[in-house]
Amino acid sequence: MISKYVAIGAWLRRRAENIVALMLLAMFVAFLLQIVFRYVLNLSIGWTNEISVVLWIWIVLFGSAFVVRERDEIRFDLFWGSASNKSRRVMQFIAAMALIILFGASLPAVIDYVLFMKVESTAYLKIRFDYLYSIYVIFAVAMIIRYIWLGIAAIRGEPDATPEQTPPGTDA
Amino acid sequence: MNVTSPFSIAVVAITLLAFLGLPIGLSMMAGSILYLLLAGMDMGTVAEQFLNGMYSNYVILAVPLFVLAAEFMNIGSMTERLLGFCNMIVGRFRGGLAMVNVAQSIIFAGMSGSAIADAAGTGGMMQSMMTRNGRYTPSYAAALTAVTSVIGPIIPPSIPMVVYALVSDASIGYLFLAGMVPGLLMAALQMLQVGITARRRNFPVEPPVPLRAFPIITWRALPALMMPVVLLGCIYSGITTPTEAAALAAAYALFVSATIYRSISPKAFYAALFNSAKTTTSIGMLIAGSLVFNYVVTIENIPDTLRVILTNWELSPLGFLIFVNVILLLLGCVLEGTAILLIIVPVFIPTAQALGIDLVHFGVVVVVNIMLGLVTPPYGLLLFIVAKISGAPMKSIVKDALPFIFWMVACLLVITFIPDIVLWLPRLMGYKG
Amino acid sequence: QDKPALKFSAVFSEQDIRANMMKMFAEGIGNDFKLEPYYGGTLFKQGTELVALQRGNLQMGNIAPQDVSKQIPEWSVLTSAYLFRDAAHVSAFFASETGEEFKKMAEDKLQIRILGPTYFGARQVGLKPQKKIMTPADLAGIKLRMPGGDAWQFLGEALGANPTPMAYAEVYTGLQTGAIDGQDNPLPNVKNMKFYEVMSQIVMTSHLVGYDLLTVSSSVWAAMSAEQQKAFQAAADSAMKWSEEQHLAQEKALVDEFKAAGLDIYEPDIAAFRKFAQDKYLNSDLAQSWPTGILEKVAAL
Ligand code: NA
Ligand code: NA
Repeated sequence: MISKYVAIGAWLRRRAENIVALMLLAMFVAFLLQIVFRYVLNLSIGWTNEISVVLWIWIVLFGSAFVVRERDEIRFDLFWGSASNKSRRVMQFIAAMALIILFGASLPAVIDYVLFMKVESTAYLKIRFDYLYSIYVIFAVAMIIRYIWLGIAAIRGEPDATPEQTPPGTDA
Repeated sequence: MNVTSPFSIAVVAITLLAFLGLPIGLSMMAGSILYLLLAGMDMGTVAEQFLNGMYSNYVILAVPLFVLAAEFMNIGSMTERLLGFCNMIVGRFRGGLAMVNVAQSIIFAGMSGSAIADAAGTGGMMQSMMTRNGRYTPSYAAALTAVTSVIGPIIPPSIPMVVYALVSDASIGYLFLAGMVPGLLMAALQMLQVGITARRRNFPVEPPVPLRAFPIITWRALPALMMPVVLLGCIYSGITTPTEAAALAAAYALFVSATIYRSISPKAFYAALFNSAKTTTSIGMLIAGSLVFNYVVTIENIPDTLRVILTNWELSPLGFLIFVNVILLLLGCVLEGTAILLIIVPVFIPTAQALGIDLVHFGVVVVVNIMLGLVTPPYGLLLFIVAKISGAPMKSIVKDALPFIFWMVACLLVITFIPDIVLWLPRLMGYKG
Repeated sequence: QDKPALKFSAVFSEQDIRANMMKMFAEGIGNDFKLEPYYGGTLFKQGTELVALQRGNLQMGNIAPQDVSKQIPEWSVLTSAYLFRDAAHVSAFFASETGEEFKKMAEDKLQIRILGPTYFGARQVGLKPQKKIMTPADLAGIKLRMPGGDAWQFLGEALGANPTPMAYAEVYTGLQTGAIDGQDNPLPNVKNMKFYEVMSQIVMTSHLVGYDLLTVSSSVWAAMSAEQQKAFQAAADSAMKWSEEQHLAQEKALVDEFKAAGLDIYEPDIAAFRKFAQDKYLNSDLAQSWPTGILEKVAAL
């Protein structure tokens, strides 16, 4: 039963990976179109500009929520690197609690802001900003869930959820 | 400043959370939420600043695209061939490849106004070249990449200088010219330090490449070597803007790898996209975190505090410049460059003018200062990025970067106290100042 | 006890004439309020001030009419080319009955109180190529940088040019390298951003009178007594008037300064530009939302 859920989770993660890769490809293509249209065809298309910025926000927030693992994030390893396993569990627990409380506290106001943004739309594609910015809410909720999980892992003393830095060259 | 004020508590919280190992972007966001909570302000602002800050920052898009370009170069054999070419030229010298890393940043400086794009893109590629086969330690390669990418916005074109021109009323054209000599001076000092370390640490020397192999190695590397020429050509003939040139770089790398080197499979293509997206995500969170925290700093109105100090201390021109250097270096530890330029620098301009300090000279001093802030611990954006790419621990990267930082500070002092070094080239081109 | 603080956010820099305008205004309301200004778009990014006002995170702002029209389509007429003749015409409009109707619209729908227009110069076409421009036809094929968004791009088309969006920070380099042929900004911006260093000529099209709106949130406004409101408005009026005069003088001085710097500055066939632009606008979707007879009403002022 459990293994079934794990399998579904892994499948979902791979699809999420496909999506960020596609978003980056789309950004790349949008830029090339922009150059071609302005320089070669002497036609300006402003929406490429807009779509690139939208994708940039979505890659960062969607990627942080569903793709990038804890250990891939940019972090300060000065103390973490030299701490014992037990201190790491304590550190991870405190950091997780702080994040859950603060992100949780801000969540209602954040949702209120995103909903409010329905009054405006983007300049070219007329995408409503509440839809566009909804990814932030998804990101915030995903962070809270992830850190609840990491906090529990720290209490139960499960194998440390944030392993050593990856060796150079393997995962850059 | 009161130690129990929301601002002080927020700063302590950010530092603490970062030390506990929480990702830095998230630490800054969490600390900023704490500030808003304690100050009784709308916590929705954290989303507002994150989203609108990212939405309005178009030029930053060069970063993901240069990262993509470097990925394409890595999976095609472009990096490999470039490495072969560099070894042929400088491999016999101790620290040769490290010097290439400096030269790469000088070339890249002509294409981009962003140090982050250099460190994460072409710089990241230099890093993997240097560490291949264990030639250099990952931490040294990372440190060198971070400090050399600082040259990017000092040599034109430069986004920070455009922003400075806006707040100071100095000429952008002359500012660009004024950055040339200091940028090259800094690069020369970095080369010098590479030479010193190379001797002391006995860096590897490659066996000399026989002369008859030269033509074939050059030929194999030629399309890759042409890349900067193509990009600079496109920028300076008006085909692309510097930001768009990043996309062109990726397209060129993809084209060469796919058609000339025929070394790119669909699977590798996907991997390049995915890896770039992952790097983009990590760097984006870091940038967004600092955007959110900038709001807190802005609302705390630090400029007013500075203004009071400036009026009360009655500094001499030299004293003023030293004061500016110290303040900017300190602020560079916690704030992002554009924010410093827009929030803090305007406070200094009237005083600089009143003291008869040339505003073009002052602009270069300010920009060099802000760039230094990107590699000075604890909050050095570039250090975090190279640490992420190399996987080397921050402690050893900082250790390896220190000698370079020493030279860069020396360079800063030289250009601060000898304005003629900065103003020589602009004057040669007709600047009256 | 402490006077209530009013956070004010604007895109212009602390060196701008309008920052001095705000200083004057702050003194004018000094008895009742403490103004806390943030310049250079450092607190809220350009275009995001309106929502910040509406959500109560900001009490005052210098809002672009283009941003108001994002939420009130009728307002787009106030951002169209050749609607206003000059700064005095804009002021006269906002003081008129029709002006009051537009202000009322904003008050009802956005909960903001518009104190009046802050003039910052008429937009002029500045070009790198030396080609003489007399009519819209002469601008055909010219890559004219316009701010992003289709309303702005449309303005470029209404001039007969080939509008190209580009980030403001990249315009200088864009002109230098030839990625764009020109830009359209008021002369004071041309001075601030040093565009004149990389242009050969300025065509004095005056196609759009540039103004923003000095705005206070309705909740702050409603909490004032009638007397306070009157004093508040009066302080705004005199500061805005002063700033307008300064800008007009500066524009005049800048023409001479740019001429001395070697730029060719001349007036094209304005009537031809006006006709071309107004026809474009009237045949566009934008004009659908305009109140009937508005153009005539404004022109008659
Ligand atoms: Na480098
Ligand atoms: Na540069």
